[in-house]
Order: sequence, then C-alpha cells, then structure tokens
Amino acid sequence: MLAYPFLFIAVYFESFVLVTLLSKPARAARTRTKSEATPSVAVIVPCWNEAATIGATCESLLALEYPKGKLEIILVDDGSTDATPEAMARFAEHPQVRILRKENGGKHTALNAGIALTNADLVGCLDADSFVEPDALREIVACFDDPKIVATTAAMSIHKPGNILQHMQNAEYSFGITLRHTFASLNGLYVTPGPFSFYRRNTVNELGGFRYGHQTEDMEMALRIQKAGYGIGNAPYARVYTKAPGTIRALIKQRTRWISGFLRNMFGDYRGLIGNRRHGVLGMLVLPTALLAIVSGIGLFLLTLFLFARNTLTALSIRAGIPFSYAFLPKMQFDWFYFPTSFYTILAVIVVIISISLIVVGKRISKTPGNIMPGLVSYLLLYGFIVPFWLIRATSDVAFGKRRGWRY
Amino acid sequence: MSLAARNALIALFITLVLAGTVAYAINYLNRARVAELSTIEDQLSIDTLSLDTQFSLLETAPCDSAASSTTLTSELADFGNRLSYAENQLGNDDAQVIRLKERYSLLEIRDYLITKRLAQACGIKPVTVLYFYSNSGDCPDCDKAGYALSYLRNTFPALRVYSFDYNLDLGALKTLITVEKVKNSLPAFVINGKHSYGFTSLEDLEKQFPKGSLSTSTSPR
Repeated sequence: MLAYPFLFIAVYFESFVLVTLLSKPARAARTRTKSEATPSVAVIVPCWNEAATIGATCESLLALEYPKGKLEIILVDDGSTDATPEAMARFAEHPQVRILRKENGGKHTALNAGIALTNADLVGCLDADSFVEPDALREIVACFDDPKIVATTAAMSIHKPGNILQHMQNAEYSFGITLRHTFASLNGLYVTPGPFSFYRRNTVNELGGFRYGHQTEDMEMALRIQKAGYGIGNAPYARVYTKAPGTIRALIKQRTRWISGFLRNMFGDYRGLIGNRRHGVLGMLVLPTALLAIVSGIGLFLLTLFLFARNTLTALSIRAGIPFSYAFLPKMQFDWFYFPTSFYTILAVIVVIISISLIVVGKRISKTPGNIMPGLVSYLLLYGFIVPFWLIRATSDVAFGKRRGWRY
Repeated sequence: MSLAARNALIALFITLVLAGTVAYAINYLNRARVAELSTIEDQLSIDTLSLDTQFSLLETAPCDSAASSTTLTSELADFGNRLSYAENQLGNDDAQVIRLKERYSLLEIRDYLITKRLAQACGIKPVTVLYFYSNSGDCPDCDKAGYALSYLRNTFPALRVYSFDYNLDLGALKTLITVEKVKNSLPAFVINGKHSYGFTSLEDLEKQFPKGSLSTSTSPR
C-alpha cells in the first residue's frame, strides 16, 4: 500500500509529459527553423585537468557552422596540474580561440573569467569532455529569437557509449532530451547543463554572474534565472555528446554530486520556488516531483529490499528439507490462472512502458544517431538497481553535511 | 485556463482512467478465476455423485470404480491448489472463496468416504492423509506442512491427501473433526487413522506414514 501513491504520481507525471509533448508549444519547437540571425557568440570551455579531451572538444567547436567572425572560443584553464596547458597551446594561434590561464577556483570562477573577456551577445558553456554537432549552434541561436528566452539548453547524448553502464546512461539521457524538450515548452527547466547551454550575456551579468552552486553551478544559474522570472528554452535538434562515467563507482560519485547539489540548492536559496504558483509548472510540478522522486526512489528501493528479503526467507523456510528439484526448479507449464496480477505490478509495468516510450521519443525528437536498443536493455536491467545508491548517498551527504570532491 | 493547468487536468484524467482500467482488469481476472473454480467445482460435484452412484450400481463388482476414484482425487488436488491461490489473491474473507472452500471440503469428505468404502470392498490399502490447517495466523507451521504435503502428493500421486481449514464453519467438517477426534493443535494429521500434531520436518512427517507406503515401486492401493 505504501508504494501506491508513488506509482500513481509516477503515472501522473509521465501522462503530463506525454500530453505536453503533444501540445502546441512543444510541437512548434519541433518545427522551428534554424535562425538566419547571427548574433555574436562566445563559447567558454572551463577546464581542470582535461588534457585528454580538450583538443577534440575545441576541434568540434571550430567545426561549428557559424560565421567565423561571430564566434569566439575561450578556453579557460582553471589551474590544471596535468598537460592541459600544452593541449590548449595547440590552438593558441587560432584567430577564433582565446586562452586564459588562472588559479584554480572552481567552475563558476572559470566561467566568470571567460565572460569577462568577451562582449558577445550570447555566451555558452561547453564542458571539456563534450563535443558538438556542426549545426548545433544554429539550432541554439534560433531559440533566442524569442525575447523572453534568456538561456537555452541542448539535446545531450553519451559520446560513443562503450560498456553496458554507458549504454544505460545513453538511454537515460535520451529520456532527459524528452523531458527537457517538454518542460521547456512550459518554462519548467531547472538545469542548464554544462554541455552547450547558452545565455544572454547581459542577463548573466545582470544576475551577478555564475556563483558557487554546491558543485552544480549550471543548476544554480538556471534556478536563479527562473527565480528572476526569465525563460529557459531548449533546442531539441542541437545535439551535443558528452563522455560518461564507465564504472559504477564513478557514476555514483557523479550522480551523488548532482543530487546533493540539487538538494542543497533546493533547501538553500531556492526553497521559495517549490510549490510557488508564480513559477507555474516548475514550482507546482517539476520541482515537487523531482524531490518526491528522490524520496520514492529511496523508499521503494528499501521497501522492495525488505519485501524481497522477507519473502525469500519465508520461501526458504517453507522449502527447508524439501528436495531441490521440487522446491527450486521452475515448473515449465503456463496456466493463466496462476498469472500474477496485482495493482502494484501492473502500475509498475505501465510506468516502465511509458518510460521506454519517452526514451525512444527522445531519440526520435533529437534525431540522435545510433542504436538505442542496448541502452534500453541495460536501462531496464540496471537503472532501478543503481539509482537508489546515489540517492541514498546524496541524501545522507546533505543530511550529515558531508562534502565530496568533484572528480569521478 | 493556462496550458499547464489544462495539461495537468488531462494528465489527471488519463491517470485515473489508467488506474481504473487496471483495477477493473484485476477484478475481472479475479472474478474469472472464481468462475473457473465454480465450473471445476460443478464438474467435480457431478463426478463425485457419479462415482457414488457407480459404486452403488456395481455392488457386485464395486472395484471397477476404483480407477475413477483415483482420477477424482487427483482432480480434487488440482482444484485445491487453485482455490488456495485464489484465496491468496482475494483474501480468506472473500464470500465466494469461503463458499467454494465449503463445497471443496464437502467434496473432499465425500471422496474420503468413497475411498474408505472402496478399500473395504476391494481389499485395497490406500494411504489417506487428513490434514487440518488454519490460516487465521495461529498456525506458524501450517505453510511448511502444506508445502511438504504438496511435495509428497506430487511425488506419490497415489497418496490421498485431504486438506481442511480447521476453522471453516461447516457442519460436515465439524462432524468429521469430532468423528476423527482431531484436537485443536495445528497442523494436525490423520494418516490412515493415526493422529499426529505439529510439523518439524519432511523427514519426521514421512516417519508417520505406514512403512513402504512412500515408495514409487509400491502401489498404495
């Protein structure tokens, strides 16, 4: 019975996403044409020990289909201790690239240092482990035709998923594409992710630039934009690829950072957004559901674990002393009479089916190349088992005031 | 009305329709289960009556109906399994489940009596087990005992196991309990007239059976 409200809310949330996806603003965003406008743009790449990927990241930016005179790339070395400076030096003579080296101060200081160097109309951020499609910037710029939009997000996928964990994240990111596209149509976004989010420079300056945001500066800035009453858009065809953690340990560390950052921002400066009607769907649905998802993720996991342990112990106790062949080997005959049908099971299956649909929709909307099937399989097999670990870790970190390092 | 509010209402409507459909489908399936049980029970009633009649008709050669009796016992066991599953799904206080349990218990008693008559008339020695349980929470070992008996019945199909809910409010069952002198100490077993109470292990339960009766090479009949 404890699980029913959570499942009901999950079905409700997914139904809301599906309905909004079919609504006029979302449809209009999907049919939006690339802008002919070419405002000046600066892409800031904050780096801290990114020697391995900064070169390819910069190459992908230089390949963007945008007037060369209107696009500058600012590589900010935030006090790297590896070969990042040497990797950056390769682009020192490039007319579009500027390199800035500063003492380590965190991502927000690197972004602010980059912004201070430019007079571009739009400033964007690209994490140094991410790569963009050549037409991505054109798609992004089109969103700024709407004067209410002060920031825009892209459609993120995983760069060359190699193992089952990365495929799982690819499916999850595809789900994220759908959610971001859907909620952008109702101004319900609360993160402008590091990979290729853009801002009107004047607005960033007006809001005081980037701040320390509990290691989630992109979320802090988005929440500040929303609090100020501005709009955040999404360009579903602006494809950007980011490297994903390849081990469970690294993934849990990354997500612990994200979730604990979210909780600290939510219970810190931005608690006023939760349940606030002035902030529409963000205040009334998105943020409450995001918080509830953490509670339900932990709650359902612990409940499932308890029920599984209890039922297993009961089953073992009942079967004790009975020959293995009878007690534990499956009886290979189907009889509809014994087919398990409970309200809980069927609602859970509905939630999973809609989730899969939203993952596939995300891939279709963004026209992201590649096969999503390995992602779907690994998502179904692994996701529900791994998520509770970072939810529990992040929640406990916040509860006990524990801070962790950035890197995974 | 804003677009978000409109979508929120539509989503709520969809969610309610989905939840309602799921509830209806589950209820429909459970009713279909009960309907199937009723059909099986009707057929078993006819089979029991038929066997009883056959037995009376063949007074000169009553043993010709012994094969039918074995089949009937096996069908009764299957019916019992389904009833037990339905009871888990619908709850042991469901009126239809209770009615079916009462009729099932009556069929078991009838089959038990026929088996005894056949044994006397034909000189065969079936192994019969009367098993009394309770699912009111006062019998912690009943699940283990029931599972062990299911295993024995599955392994030795000639074994005739009759399971009764000790607390079922049914006159014939109360009479059987009185006649067989079964105490309210569950789980209780009456194996070929010999009483035993409680369950410790399959091994201990097997010791209660007549020697050689739990052997696939020995016909219990």
